[in-house]
Amino acid sequence: MNMRKLLLIVALLGAFGVVVGGLSCSRRGSSEDQLTICFGFQDLETEFWVAGHKAITETLRAKGIRVLERNANQDANRQLEQIRDAIAQEVNGIIIIPQDGESAVTIVGEANRAGIPIAVFNRPPSDRSNPALVIVADNEKIADEAVAYMAKVAREKGKGRKWKPLIVVGDLGDRNAVARRKGFFNVMERNPDLFETPIEVPSKWDPATTLANLEAALQANPDVDFLFTSSDFLYPQIKAVLEPLGKWKKIDEPGHVILGGLDGDSTAYTLMKEGYVDATGVQDLFFEANTIMEALLTAIEVGQKTPENWMEDPGFALTQENMAERADEMWGYRVLHDE
Amino acid sequence: MQSSGNVTSQTRIARLKEVVIGRALLSDSFVLYLSVAYFVVLWVFLPRLGSARNLSNLSSNIWPLLVLVIGQMFVLIVGGIDLSQTSIMAITSVCGALMMTSGLDPELFAANPLWGVFIGEQGGPAGGSVAAAPVGIAFMLAIGTLIGSANGLAVARLKMPPFMVTLVSMFFFSGLAIFITRSENVRNLPDAFLAVGQNYLGRVPTARGPVGLVPYSFFAALALAVAAWFVLARTILGRWLYAVGMNRRAATVSGVPTDRVIVWAYAVSGFCAALGSVLYSSRLGAGRPTLGENVLLDIIGAAVIGGISLFGGKGKVRWAFYGVLFFVLLDSSLYMLNLKFYTVNIVKGVVILVAALLDVLRNRIRLGWAPTGRAVTA
Repeated sequence: MNMRKLLLIVALLGAFGVVVGGLSCSRRGSSEDQLTICFGFQDLETEFWVAGHKAITETLRAKGIRVLERNANQDANRQLEQIRDAIAQEVNGIIIIPQDGESAVTIVGEANRAGIPIAVFNRPPSDRSNPALVIVADNEKIADEAVAYMAKVAREKGKGRKWKPLIVVGDLGDRNAVARRKGFFNVMERNPDLFETPIEVPSKWDPATTLANLEAALQANPDVDFLFTSSDFLYPQIKAVLEPLGKWKKIDEPGHVILGGLDGDSTAYTLMKEGYVDATGVQDLFFEANTIMEALLTAIEVGQKTPENWMEDPGFALTQENMAERADEMWGYRVLHDE
Repeated sequence: MQSSGNVTSQTRIARLKEVVIGRALLSDSFVLYLSVAYFVVLWVFLPRLGSARNLSNLSSNIWPLLVLVIGQMFVLIVGGIDLSQTSIMAITSVCGALMMTSGLDPELFAANPLWGVFIGEQGGPAGGSVAAAPVGIAFMLAIGTLIGSANGLAVARLKMPPFMVTLVSMFFFSGLAIFITRSENVRNLPDAFLAVGQNYLGRVPTARGPVGLVPYSFFAALALAVAAWFVLARTILGRWLYAVGMNRRAATVSGVPTDRVIVWAYAVSGFCAALGSVLYSSRLGAGRPTLGENVLLDIIGAAVIGGISLFGGKGKVRWAFYGVLFFVLLDSSLYMLNLKFYTVNIVKGVVILVAALLDVLRNRIRLGWAPTGRAVTA
């Protein structure tokens, strides 16, 4: 009998706690005329997304805007349900980091039908069939610039010999990953005398997959000496594979693998400063966050229901040559120094 | 006189307790009452919970999940578990989509092992034809049923633990789905297929545009629910399923073809996973190799909340519905309460735990009141 009572009390207290706690949370600080924006993101797995999330939520809240945060845990269906839910709450605007380009099209369509302006941050829809505000880095150009610098270093060091290049490819369902791969291959095609056929290692944007695939690729091709990663957040896995093979060397040490990546996070900055990485393509995270927020707030202010504008972050390549002058433009540098 | 008055009031209290506990807690519809009470209480504070758009959302979220939970219920009734439902969703999603797509980007798919054999720039074998959607759906359902049957055979004939069999299936088929597509989503699906997950029967006008009333997925779920109810409540197979779940050895001794029954249960689960895949894929407008990756907790959670026993021998279609209803309502309301995303997960976990504890409590009370016990059938 005591056991029964205890269980009943636990159940009732739990239910009561959820309702009261939730209601107090939902009612705290909200008013009818307060602007509400839903920020739906696919996950906060990398430093780039964490910094983007922080920049967006803090800026919006500082402007007195109520932010509904929705984490889809990398599930496109859940993200769709969450955005529908936010639409039912009659939010004034939506910002999403979609799971992929295809789901972005569907989600944007939902917002369009409800007449709620929607902005897509950094990961664009796979087509333009539904109007949205989109900010995305020029990934192909940024990757091209970073790899071009690496190729220049290779040409200077190689003195006529060919290099064995490897690219860690992102999830090709993500247009950013496709563009970065294209930027890498543009440089390969411009320098046929400098490079052998590149090895492609799929990462699916997953550290464990990257580690396994990179280990296998380097076992099969131990002569790799030129490596580009489609995202900086994979450097720990790259180091874990290169170090035991005696290939994790600084730029001025013999056996150095020419290294480069894209994103511009604090790990890339630290590794460049320590002399392990030659170049990294930098997306201007804060520019992207501010631009998309301003565009969305303007659309809300003027009453646009389905605004359309694809905006581009030109980005740049931070190299060992220009690091002294441009490091402070890198968001990873700023995150590191803010901390 | 006073002592007889005390006895009477004590009797009344005891009777009241019996009514409250007996009628509510032990009722088949306990979770439904709970859902209604939860909805009404929250509605007072959150009027948008009952808005046309939110009700439409709830409705559209319930049916695909119900299809999956009904499938899982068949396996739970025979005392098993099917962890592979999520990977069956993924593999059927990409296979069906590759079958009916009307165009593929060579840049993304040229490295695909099926390129030039099964698929090409013009899409899949059924791509572009009027029969693309039915052929694709039939293909998906056939694959799902086949994988489910294979799971059932391994459990029944090879006597392998269901957890291990379906765990291996989960890894294998989710990996295969990614291998087949090289992790690409498959687009350009026929409109008739997309309509299954995206269209509604009837629309209600609201300030923010019309809102769908009854999603097409409702009809698929309804047909499945009626068929499942009929099998469980009105056929000998239904009785065998419960018998196997309550005591497999006793069922075998009584002449129940237990192996065949187990294979049936897993085949139904596979079929339902494929049907769920049809509903989710059409809703998202693409065949996805990662479809359903995170839905297993929702399936098991809704089943447990509904009162379907993890120990076998107990489960009804309407319990599955009540469980899904409460789970979806809880999910939606927690977001509407604007709790932090990690709080939502914590609360959902606690609610599932409480539901499991309540199940234990109800069993104890029931056994205390009816020591002989009985199977709870549809």
